[in-house]
Amino acid sequence: METSEWDLIRKCQQGEVAAYEELAAKYYRRVFMVILGMVHHRDDAMDVAQETFYRAFKNIKRFKGGSNFYTWLYRIAVNLAIDFQRRQKRGSVDLKENMDDVVVETETLGSDPYREVSDRRLGEKLIGAIAELTPDHKAVIVMRAVEGLSYKEIGRIMGCSEGTIMSRLHYARKKLQEKLGSDL
Amino acid sequence: MTPPRRLLQPNLLFSLWLALMSVPLGAAEKDEPPALQLKIGTILATNQADCLDSQLSKMKPQLEVIKYRCYRLIREESKKSSWQANTVFEIPGGRSLVVVPQELRNNRISLKVRLLEGEKPIVDTTVRFPNKGNFLLGGPAHEGGVLILSISAMTAGQ
Amino acid sequence: MRSHEEIKSSLGAWLDGELAAAEAAEIQLHVQGCASCLGEKARLEKLESSLKNVLETEASQIAFEPFWAGVRRRIAEEKSWRARGLDWARDFLTLPRLAWAIPVAALVIWFGVFSSWDWPFNSTNQAAVESIDGHGYNVALLREAKTKTAVIWVFDNQESEDDSATTPAAAESAF
Repeated sequence: METSEWDLIRKCQQGEVAAYEELAAKYYRRVFMVILGMVHHRDDAMDVAQETFYRAFKNIKRFKGGSNFYTWLYRIAVNLAIDFQRRQKRGSVDLKENMDDVVVETETLGSDPYREVSDRRLGEKLIGAIAELTPDHKAVIVMRAVEGLSYKEIGRIMGCSEGTIMSRLHYARKKLQEKLGSDL
Repeated sequence: MTPPRRLLQPNLLFSLWLALMSVPLGAAEKDEPPALQLKIGTILATNQADCLDSQLSKMKPQLEVIKYRCYRLIREESKKSSWQANTVFEIPGGRSLVVVPQELRNNRISLKVRLLEGEKPIVDTTVRFPNKGNFLLGGPAHEGGVLILSISAMTAGQ
Repeated sequence: MRSHEEIKSSLGAWLDGELAAAEAAEIQLHVQGCASCLGEKARLEKLESSLKNVLETEASQIAFEPFWAGVRRRIAEEKSWRARGLDWARDFLTLPRLAWAIPVAALVIWFGVFSSWDWPFNSTNQAAVESIDGHGYNVALLREAKTKTAVIWVFDNQESEDDSATTPAAAESAF
């Protein structure tokens, strides 16, 4: 762990909120991306991500530096996201609406309209397909795609073996390919 | 709206269990009580040596109050019985045991028991005990020791 | 030498860099000469990049200040014990757990109240001797302490002169 990050963590452990703000600024987008991949709705992802950082701050004294800080943070995020999904079921149509908002902005950029339309459709279908996976399968595929984490790191976050991660990824990818078919 | 599958499973299980349990509860003690299975174990207790028949190991705590040194199971007999009907068991030494089941109430069985030597009654008693339970009746002399009868009963299907 | 199907199913792990060097080399060699595996490789790569792009695009819209404001507010709020208790209850007492709790509780109550099985609180063999007639013989009523088993002992009226017998009298035959 970087000396500066560990210094920040030590300050957080002493209750310094300003130090925690620095840590949060470093990781918030990455945590948000992972959570969004699992819960599909921007507002829900925001809620879960904020809760993640709140709980991490509340329990930061328990972080001893045995693993990377982001592994520890992601573990909180993934568990909260899984709990959230189990409590509330929401269709992927919400993110589809969000996706349309985003696409309106990006349409003004780029020089290949066909590719943009094609990518937009794939993105919508992809999110819809991911929504049909189980929380555990969503977590592994999102963490792998977004963060490029190793199977070992993902296994640490989810509390299971590398073999389990490998088989979950294989299953999730297979299911997504089946759903997306010729779009890929 | 179909309830989630996770709620369906335990609730289906509960409903099935409820349906199954309601049948015997309704049938049991209200109209005809179930048939009875009687079992009489005849034990010879002596002071000649220290021994406990392996078949009597589960009864060891019960026999300790009697304070003999050696216990051997010399006969065991089971018979189906009807309520208010005589069921007769042969007991060594020309004796017999007549058991008349009286009633089943709150899962406790009431038995009227008469021990006879030939035609002569030795003891009459009425005992109420838990279904699948037992009581002991002892004292008759036999082959240098005494006989102890373990009298047990349970409703059929237990 | 692995079969084509085995290699195809390992492409994901190979692309993730999770295979041992020898295995990875074998797969690389195979993929270079296999159109089907090349196609599968392209699909897997597109799947991951598309997912990453979609999520990155979304996340890029999130400004830090409003995000941090939400976190700050949660840190600042002092949660009452009641609110914490409700949070715990909401987290722990999920519908699936409650749904299982009901039949389990019902089973426990049923067995406890109605069952004839030997439960710890209902495990005695206690009998009630409702009537007894010794027809001239002495009758002793004993109760074994552990299982509460009733013992009815019939013996003769005559006093025993044999002190080696413990009660009930064994040396003197009852009849």
